[in-house]
Amino acid sequence: MVENRHISITVNGERKEADVEPRMLLVHFLREIAGSTGTHVGCDTTNCGACTVLLDGRAVKSCTILAVQADRRKITTIEGLSKEPGKMHPVQKSFVDNHGLQCGYCTSGMIISAYWLLKHKKNVSEQEIREAISGNLCRCTGYDNIIMSIKDAEKRMEEEGDTLEEEQAVTVRK
Amino acid sequence: MYPKPLTYKKAKTLDEAFSMLSQNDDARVIAGGQSIMPMLKLRIASPSLLVDIAPIRELHEIRLDGNNLTIGAMVTHREIIESSEIGKNLPMLQETARHIADVQIRNRGTIGGSICEADPSADYAPTLLALDAKVVLKSSREERTVDLDDFIVGPFEVNINQGEILTSVIIPVNRSPYSVVKYARRSADFAVASMAAIVEKKPDGTITDIRVAVGAQSDRPLRMKELESLLKGQKPQKKDLYLEVDKAVEHLDPIDDIHGSAEYRKEVTANILKTNLGSLIFGGI
Repeated sequence: MVENRHISITVNGERKEADVEPRMLLVHFLREIAGSTGTHVGCDTTNCGACTVLLDGRAVKSCTILAVQADRRKITTIEGLSKEPGKMHPVQKSFVDNHGLQCGYCTSGMIISAYWLLKHKKNVSEQEIREAISGNLCRCTGYDNIIMSIKDAEKRMEEEGDTLEEEQAVTVRK
Repeated sequence: MYPKPLTYKKAKTLDEAFSMLSQNDDARVIAGGQSIMPMLKLRIASPSLLVDIAPIRELHEIRLDGNNLTIGAMVTHREIIESSEIGKNLPMLQETARHIADVQIRNRGTIGGSICEADPSADYAPTLLALDAKVVLKSSREERTVDLDDFIVGPFEVNINQGEILTSVIIPVNRSPYSVVKYARRSADFAVASMAAIVEKKPDGTITDIRVAVGAQSDRPLRMKELESLLKGQKPQKKDLYLEVDKAVEHLDPIDDIHGSAEYRKEVTANILKTNLGSLIFGGI
């Protein structure tokens, strides 16, 4: 019999603790224990990127990490991007306004990847955007509107003074 | 998908990791987890114990010792891309890391993990074979340094003993003209064909050093030693190079799968070798 492990993960600024099976995937911890169901399970094989979250500020696929590996670390999910409750982050807003989604299943992962790119690079080129989302599959949009959304999001983030940040210091909603 | 039930332990030092590994015959090491996690979920691997080596400090080091760069097993692809030490001394390795999988995987996957997975289509091996890299393997009893060429045995199989950990990769500094090519339909996919080459020549065009390796063309990545020896010391014409490349590619035996038929993979390999060795040897494209 395998023993459960007690872990504590800070999800969007809130500490979530639980006894979990060591084989539990981070994405299941986020959805089932932390209640962050905005993080999706898509392919479950490290391909599609629907489960993308920030782990200590870095974009990672949460289906390819064990929850126990994230013990005592910080996670930001789609729910934690906006600093104000009830208000969307500029990246989210620009996806809505530019029709950057259809069914929406890939969107939370797509937005986290876009956010990570825009927090790391200035004046991103289309090529850089395409590279940044090469780990995120969308089966509806054909990507064009997603790329448009990300270009627009860069402008909006600049306007809001939401600029480049050090990874460890990514602000999350408390 | 869930892995089979397993026990998980975090090691803070190498000694701690060795002692954890010695308690269990089917223990496996987890580094960044970008190779082993998919295998655990598909249940291709089902170890009863996972030993996480991420907290071990010395495995994260990038160190220049004389003419060698030592890269710790836990160094991620992203850290390789961003390291100025690697940029200065091994630009070819940095270029290789840029094309591995996607952003999320590069943020987490490690050089040690990728080498130990030994996927015949993986990205580092052709470059590391061309660079004459060695790997350092440690256990509680001994330490050994092995040529990467001898470490890789076959598909997903490496020359490592139970209880041993690959702790670092030692790569001789190399700033020679190089070419690294990965051919895949989607950038995040594994290569259908890949190559890495280094060419040094005299001002008169005579080739003084040539090293060529290919990936995804056999049950393991290969150095093309015969092709190298035919070209070294020569001042080949384009048609000689093309002829020798065609002959060398004849001997390859790639896998036939949904990503590409064997015939297609060989044709792509011949084309990328001709184009890129051609530009290293003759200049231009």
